[in-house]
Amino acid sequence: MGKSVKEILIDGNGYACIQCGRCTGSCPSGRECSLRTRKLIHMARMGMDVIKTEELWDCTTCFTCQERCPKEVKTTDMIIELRNLAVEEGYFPTMSDVPKIIIKSLYDTGAGQPLSPEVSKIRAIIGLKKEAYDVSTNAETLKKFQRLLDGLEITKKGGLR
Amino acid sequence: MEEYAFFPGCIAKNVYPGIEKATRIVFEKLGIGLRDYEYSCCPPPGVLACYDKPSWLVMGARNLSQSEKDGLNPMTVCSGCYGTLHNVWYALKNDPDLMGFVNDHLGRIDAEYKGKVHPIHFVDILKNYKEKIAELKEIDLGLNVAVHYGCHYLKPSSVTGENSERPTLLDELVGLAGCKAVPFKDGLTCCGAGGGVMSGEPDVSLKIINTKLNNMKDANVDAIVNICSFCHMQFDQSQKKLKTTEIPVLHLNQLFGLAFGIRPKHLALHTHLVSTRDLEKKLKDLKKGGE
Repeated sequence: MGKSVKEILIDGNGYACIQCGRCTGSCPSGRECSLRTRKLIHMARMGMDVIKTEELWDCTTCFTCQERCPKEVKTTDMIIELRNLAVEEGYFPTMSDVPKIIIKSLYDTGAGQPLSPEVSKIRAIIGLKKEAYDVSTNAETLKKFQRLLDGLEITKKGGLR
Repeated sequence: MEEYAFFPGCIAKNVYPGIEKATRIVFEKLGIGLRDYEYSCCPPPGVLACYDKPSWLVMGARNLSQSEKDGLNPMTVCSGCYGTLHNVWYALKNDPDLMGFVNDHLGRIDAEYKGKVHPIHFVDILKNYKEKIAELKEIDLGLNVAVHYGCHYLKPSSVTGENSERPTLLDELVGLAGCKAVPFKDGLTCCGAGGGVMSGEPDVSLKIINTKLNNMKDANVDAIVNICSFCHMQFDQSQKKLKTTEIPVLHLNQLFGLAFGIRPKHLALHTHLVSTRDLEKKLKDLKKGGE
């Protein structure tokens, strides 16, 4: 169902890239680590294993490179699509379990960042309801939400089924 | 009365409830109604959109559909939530096939999104209330602040319509509270939290924010003022880990709350990891001076 690298390049205008490197020069993450956006685009075009590179996961999706690209290459959109393809092919980032924890929390409570007892207390002290009104307030609504997620790929990819 | 569907987002609800509280207070004072709905997480543009984009679209559309029957546009206080909801809205608006795909899924739980309501960032509401904010101001805060937009409010500009390289809105808005937005090196760079980097590559994330915090410190700012709960969390929590800077972090609605004379405790400033005590002392002296 996902796109191939070639389709990602076509949709993201990747073949227009002139390898000028403005993306890499603008990248706040690349200054601190080995992420080189220009190189990722080059690898994708040369048919190299771009989806296996760990640097693919160092991008904060801030969109500065895409904003500044003189050839209107949708660099950030392409990185997001390449990550989707990487996950589909089983190259789930290995550095941390946190993404999977977030997906599980999302399923169980409707919140990526669940409420702790400590914050619940603070909420009451400052005059808010102990728990915010949301998808988990009504048990029936939460069940429906989970039914929606059961039919989506994210629960499979997050290891929930 | 002007009214919106309030989309607080996970961080303002479950980690920094002072942001939710400050938003409710500020909007009540401005006479703008906020209605609650059965929202889930936005879901995050980093983790979810990068792992399975179709799921992200469906879950985002479910949130957008909540207030459609009442015709209320969802308002966010987080540029991350705004990024998701706005990008989902934009993608669906321009692609009937995608809208069909999303509604096939929503149909399984008897929901539907027709695209009639669209998300709005709270600053785009506040910018129409400048005079009222000036009227409500009780204290000129007199702080030098570093303003931070959150990338997904500004970019991609082809979708947001903002000036991503030279935005001025926050300079104007903090000015209404008697504060000055101080320029600092690389003022518009990312906080380093997005794209799943904070959760997946924490070391890289901390390096990015460390550079940013030191640039702010060099500009001698009294506080960091943001319009994004997720960046707010990154600024506050990472300073505790890095221990190289100690700059108080305020969401813009907390700043306005202070300017409107609300007590810091009611805005939950005491729950921030970076102490706001010096800031509060300064405000107390200001109040005394004004009496």
